[in-house]
Amino acid sequence: MPSSQTPSIAGTALDPTSLRPDISDAEIVRIAPAELRDKLIALRGDGFTMLLDIGGVDYLGREPRFDVVYHLLALPTKVATLAEVGTPRRIRLLVGVPENAPTLPSIQDLWPNANWAEREIYDLFGLTFEGHPDLRRIQMPYDWEGHPLRKDYPLRGPAREATPRPAFALKSNVPAGTPPSGKVAAALQKQIARARGQAPVPARGEDS
Amino acid sequence: MTLSMGPQHPSTHGVLQVVVEVSGEIVEKAEMEIGYLHTGIEKSAENLFWTQAGTVIERMDYLSPLGNAMCYVLAVEKLLGVSDRIPERAQSIRVLLCELTRVASHCVWLGTGGIDLGAISTFFYTFDLREDILDLIELSGGARMHPNYLRIGGLNGDIPEGFLGKLDALIEKYPKRMHELRALLQNNPILRDRMIDIGIVSPEDAIAWGLTGPSLRASGIAYDVRKAFPYSGYEKYEFDIPVRDDGDAYARFLVRLEEMDEAMRIVRQIRQELNTPGPIMIDDPKIAQPPKETIALSMEALIHHFKIVSESFRVPPGDVYQAIESPRGELGYYVVSTGNNRPYRVRTRPPSLYNLQTLKLLAPGNLIADLVVMIGSLDPVFGEVDR
Repeated sequence: MPSSQTPSIAGTALDPTSLRPDISDAEIVRIAPAELRDKLIALRGDGFTMLLDIGGVDYLGREPRFDVVYHLLALPTKVATLAEVGTPRRIRLLVGVPENAPTLPSIQDLWPNANWAEREIYDLFGLTFEGHPDLRRIQMPYDWEGHPLRKDYPLRGPAREATPRPAFALKSNVPAGTPPSGKVAAALQKQIARARGQAPVPARGEDS
Repeated sequence: MTLSMGPQHPSTHGVLQVVVEVSGEIVEKAEMEIGYLHTGIEKSAENLFWTQAGTVIERMDYLSPLGNAMCYVLAVEKLLGVSDRIPERAQSIRVLLCELTRVASHCVWLGTGGIDLGAISTFFYTFDLREDILDLIELSGGARMHPNYLRIGGLNGDIPEGFLGKLDALIEKYPKRMHELRALLQNNPILRDRMIDIGIVSPEDAIAWGLTGPSLRASGIAYDVRKAFPYSGYEKYEFDIPVRDDGDAYARFLVRLEEMDEAMRIVRQIRQELNTPGPIMIDDPKIAQPPKETIALSMEALIHHFKIVSESFRVPPGDVYQAIESPRGELGYYVVSTGNNRPYRVRTRPPSLYNLQTLKLLAPGNLIADLVVMIGSLDPVFGEVDR
């Protein structure tokens, strides 16, 4: 169940990656989790030497639910001038991860910087990485419950969500058809009278 | 023995805890604990309108707020398909402010990096220069650090009167201040002894660990997003990319110093363009708020204004990756829209996170005192590491 604090996603596209407008920001490849390591090893052989980032997206209601996004960049691995670097190629791998098998092979043996990126996805999305040597939470405290970037995680946290709102904050607490108490109108009249100089202005601290 | 450096330690440039295993004074292993500044900015952004999300996103890298804003607005403009309709003057002012924040950000790095090595006086020189830049940013958007001046489609308003005069004063003052700073630092024997051959990153390692920005260029690879994937009109300006081959802390120091000069070179070129007035916001009533004076006169303007303020606009579904060169490296935003009036996901590629992680490679086998130099030379900003 999405939280009451999370904006509704009803009536919107659930797989925006298939509807994207024509933007030439990178080559995009969608693969299955089982192919991930082979594909990445092949790409690295093809010159995509730098793992820029691993990010996650939670498409709640779509199957597979999660997308893990690998951004790669083809840079030379030796001293290179501006002309030799040129405009490096970019590629983006989208890996769909189902909710009932939320796990991916770790690639931190291929790129050491995947270590923290995978920990962050584990921490914030709850996906695990097989073969990761140190899969701990990284941003949230170690004893935290839940994974904050999931769409069903309330914005202000589950504890806040579970606390009932005080009665006076609920609109439904005022039955329909209740006549106005007159307090607001009276306060307004008082203010107008003061502004016209027809009523005394209360001293600081005195109850108005 | 295991030592805990931080999280409250002046040399960690924020709140970083380094758990160091030492034998004598030699570091055997360094593990880092981050997350002390985690504020859930990515989660917050998902719950805000497209127009509001920029406000929190600016707060990630608090030393280069305009860089974050720049990257976010460029990404959203790509999704909206309006990238080539942004007025030229708006693009120039964006680049101007980004380059000024680059200088300001390097000033903080230079000042605090100097303190790490015991050179207290540099701090006052650099913060004096930074203060002038923050004054300019305050003039442009109303706030010193997070002005929220860059808007989707252009800018919040034109630069005010008096801005150009102050900019001219800064352009005039900069070379003299920089000359003093170089005289203080560059050939200082203590600084050279502490930095040369410390924290050497080979080009192979730099690529494998995802190092970008001045730290990558100090290892000899001339990759700069401004040259490789020009955005917002960077291709119009003449500037060089400083590169060094040594890969040590001193090389990173020199690259950043030279980068400040190149940034000011771009600023001087943009200064010439700013004399001719022009529009600063896209001509599209669905994205840009109508001018205030038309609201009382035109029904359409009133409705557009009300719509944009109360429910923002809808962005066509799709995903986009946009990168810019922040003072720390390749800053990227992976933005996903489901066609709603709020971003579905804003994933940051924080350069500081990946640069800082390299410390795991650099630290072993070095002195604890050198660890401080290494952290400083990687220039992490924890607002961005933790988000």
